Amino acid sequence: MTDVVVHDPTLRDGQHAVRHQLGVAALRGYAEAADAAGVPVVEVGHGNGLGASSLQVGRAAVSDDLMLATVRAALRRSKMGVFMLPGWGTSADLRKAIAHGADVIRIGVHCTEPSLAERHLGFLAEQGADGHCVLMMSHMATAAQLAEHAATAVGYGARAVGLMDSAGNFLPQDVSDRIGAIAAAVDVPVIFHGHNNLGMAVANSVAAAQAGATIIDGCARGFGAGAGNTQLEVLVPVLERTGFRTGIDLYGLLDAADFAERELMPAPPTTDTVSIVSGLAGVFSGFKHQVLDASRRSGVDPRDVFFELGRRQAIAGQEDLIVDVVAELGEVAS
Amino acid sequence: MTATTAPHSPAVGTAHRTSVAVIGTGAIGQDLVSKVHRSPVLDCALVVGRNPDSAGLAHAARLGYPTSAGGIEAVLAADRPFDVLLDATSAAAHVEHWRLLADTPTLLVDLTPSKIGQMVVPTVTGTHGPTGRDVSLISCGGQASIPIAHGLAERFAVDYIEVVSTVASTIAGRATRLNLDEYVATTQHALTTFTDVPETKAILNISPAVPPATFRTAVHAVIPGADADAVRSVVDAVAARVREFAPGYRVIACAVAGDRVVVSVEVIADSDVLPHYAGNLDIINSAAILVAEQHAARLGRAAGTGARS
Repeated sequence: MTDVVVHDPTLRDGQHAVRHQLGVAALRGYAEAADAAGVPVVEVGHGNGLGASSLQVGRAAVSDDLMLATVRAALRRSKMGVFMLPGWGTSADLRKAIAHGADVIRIGVHCTEPSLAERHLGFLAEQGADGHCVLMMSHMATAAQLAEHAATAVGYGARAVGLMDSAGNFLPQDVSDRIGAIAAAVDVPVIFHGHNNLGMAVANSVAAAQAGATIIDGCARGFGAGAGNTQLEVLVPVLERTGFRTGIDLYGLLDAADFAERELMPAPPTTDTVSIVSGLAGVFSGFKHQVLDASRRSGVDPRDVFFELGRRQAIAGQEDLIVDVVAELGEVAS
Repeated sequence: MTATTAPHSPAVGTAHRTSVAVIGTGAIGQDLVSKVHRSPVLDCALVVGRNPDSAGLAHAARLGYPTSAGGIEAVLAADRPFDVLLDATSAAAHVEHWRLLADTPTLLVDLTPSKIGQMVVPTVTGTHGPTGRDVSLISCGGQASIPIAHGLAERFAVDYIEVVSTVASTIAGRATRLNLDEYVATTQHALTTFTDVPETKAILNISPAVPPATFRTAVHAVIPGADADAVRSVVDAVAARVREFAPGYRVIACAVAGDRVVVSVEVIADSDVLPHYAGNLDIINSAAILVAEQHAARLGRAAGTGARS
């Protein structure tokens, strides 16, 4: 059996599904349940991470300070994780997260732009913090490019590095090729974070583990952007059956999933038709609500909007393009 | 009143032409040199870098301007102070440049996010030029967004304002990438200063799109009771004023939904050296040239009245 660290961003990526409105009781309750199940890392924050509460993506119901303090107090065994996008959050946010007791700090950058993480990974290394780097929207680069960028991030001080399939675009072979290339290029743990737009999140995560990833992300009930993330309570037993040890208690995990379904979300994410289009178009899953809202107001087909955003190679954080694209498609239609 | 040139003016013999030195030879520096070259009232007196083989110095030499790889020392060693120094180095270097030049008559125009000088946004801070001698141009996102943000805040009661800029990866150099924190802090500070809205936010995206994406800025605002037509007229009026010095500035989208306002602008570079998508560099450089030309006009007036001698 190979050990895999399951990293749980339910309380961060799940925020996208509820427009960043998770309240203190939900944060505390889920963190306690995940901790009781022995989930190694519980990540918390606004959907786009530290400092990202904004009109561009959505304003959070709870401040970063309160989110971190709440989850920290609820965790006894589990580590607390946070996420930050340079250009959205700053070193001041990292300093604050460290002061709140964040154990694992992920810096997210678009997959072809590792140098955007240079300063913050360096800062985390100086602080002695466990700084990781995730390459987002990783379907937009080849295996060789990703391996090179991952090695660059390790050079900046990342203690783990990996991929987010932010658009839920990958099929298992895509993941095997890319994770395999990264695992061969770096000597730190490799991360994989899946989305379920094409129904592949669990299969992709198993492929990642088999190709050498040892940190795998999963969210309770798949709670996450768009069609949702890799479903945690499916991922864990499937990993165990395929020969990976997670150290997570099954009943505790199922209880946490039930809590999540009851208290965090109106309904678990599903691979609805716009999410399929979003995955095919290679657009960040977090765009879903805004695309639907703007399309409805202007009477344009949200599927056209997703394909046009894909054509423009929109990346995570560029939600302001949605208004342009909807306006342009609306003009063409009228 | 005759236009006699003051005896100590560096513009002797070229009435009302103002001497400009450019320090920094990257894309910003090269575009500044080409814009000084186009200006009817500015003379490019020196272009300074650190690397004698840099493309920026070669570009300046091709245009026939004196160059030096001697850094700020070359500026200090000039026979007489330049009227204007355009500083396209780095935030840390600018702090040092101001320290060295604070006691000279030179106007420093800072294109780095050092935040130490008097902040200038041409359509907001006026046409007469700054009163201080160290001028901060804030950031590219600040130059693109603050005219709109200020226009909205002047006309409406604004609860919150946020600006999101997107720059093409190919023109975001290492200094930009290492200084994202300063970009955010400086742009937010300027937004708050020029709008009086206490809560502001600045965000920067780097787009990897191929071909590269044109520089854009989205201004989001919370304006209770905002009227779409009134917003549009404010935005159009502001954009027309910005276009007077940055002709590639245009409004792409202007949408009001409830109390949420979003205005997107794009800037296409009007430049002999920059690619068309590099509007971020074009708008801050165009602002720098305007500040220098306003200073030239002031020197001209001073010379005309004899006040400067």
